[in-house]
Amino acid sequence: MMLASVIQHHVLNIVGGYVLVLGSLALFTWRMLGRARKLASQLPDKDKPWI
Amino acid sequence: MNESNVLHTGTRGSRIIGILALIGLAWMVVFGLLISPPDEVQGDNVRYLYLHVPAAFLTFTAFGITAVSSILYLWKRTRSLTWDRIAGCSAEIGVVLTAVTLATGMLWGKLSWGVYWRWDALLTSTALLLVMFIGYLALRGLEASPEVRARRCAIVGIIAFLDVPLIHFSVNWWRTLHQPASIGPRKTTFDGPMLLSFFVSLVAFVLVYIWLMMHRNRLAMMEQAMDDHGLQMAIAERHAEAIA
Repeated sequence: MMLASVIQHHVLNIVGGYVLVLGSLALFTWRMLGRARKLASQLPDKDKPWI
Repeated sequence: MNESNVLHTGTRGSRIIGILALIGLAWMVVFGLLISPPDEVQGDNVRYLYLHVPAAFLTFTAFGITAVSSILYLWKRTRSLTWDRIAGCSAEIGVVLTAVTLATGMLWGKLSWGVYWRWDALLTSTALLLVMFIGYLALRGLEASPEVRARRCAIVGIIAFLDVPLIHFSVNWWRTLHQPASIGPRKTTFDGPMLLSFFVSLVAFVLVYIWLMMHRNRLAMMEQAMDDHGLQMAIAERHAEAIA
């Protein structure tokens, strides 16, 4: 029972770590692309040299 | 200002890198959580290796690019606001990666050492790096002419980067809870599926960094263009007022 609790704690910790990392990167990306989309709608295409 | 239908910052190249990064991250999760065997000493805790070490490596790379770009801005022959923009973009991504490195290090530390945090040399100097680059980003947000801001930020960026070698060598110079580097050009302390999992994670993080840099750089170009348009509109309004 105690062993199962320890294993469960470790699994939650490790899976939680992966979720935290991928979630942080996804949040940063979402905010960045959202701001980019907003600015892109206000600017002419000549200000977007990658097009 | 003209309305535009092109609302994205993507190109064919960035899309290919983005898809490869997503495949790499998926591979990292599958390898890291399911395929990689437990370590003889650390057991399943070793699965943090595939998150923590690549994130730390990319943190140092991101701030290294900030430092090199800052030097190139300060050097008269290569002075260009492009270098300042690259330095700022890389620092912003570096701050996210430092936070990720610290968070995964704390979670791994709780499992391995029994505590989330100790004020030892490596952990403290890494936290200091995060604080210094948050300060760097705050400095970038202050009102100033682009040239003045670029010069100030370049100096601060180079000074803040000096903490990176301190972090790297702190495990050798002082007694810390953190183990010495597990992998290097001359030796690795693991092999087989664990080494493969590690390299998959490292490649995935490198691709994520490149993809983020491409998009953040394009966003920074648009931010600069918006500032320029705002300035032009303000000048036009002043002219109109003077004529009236």
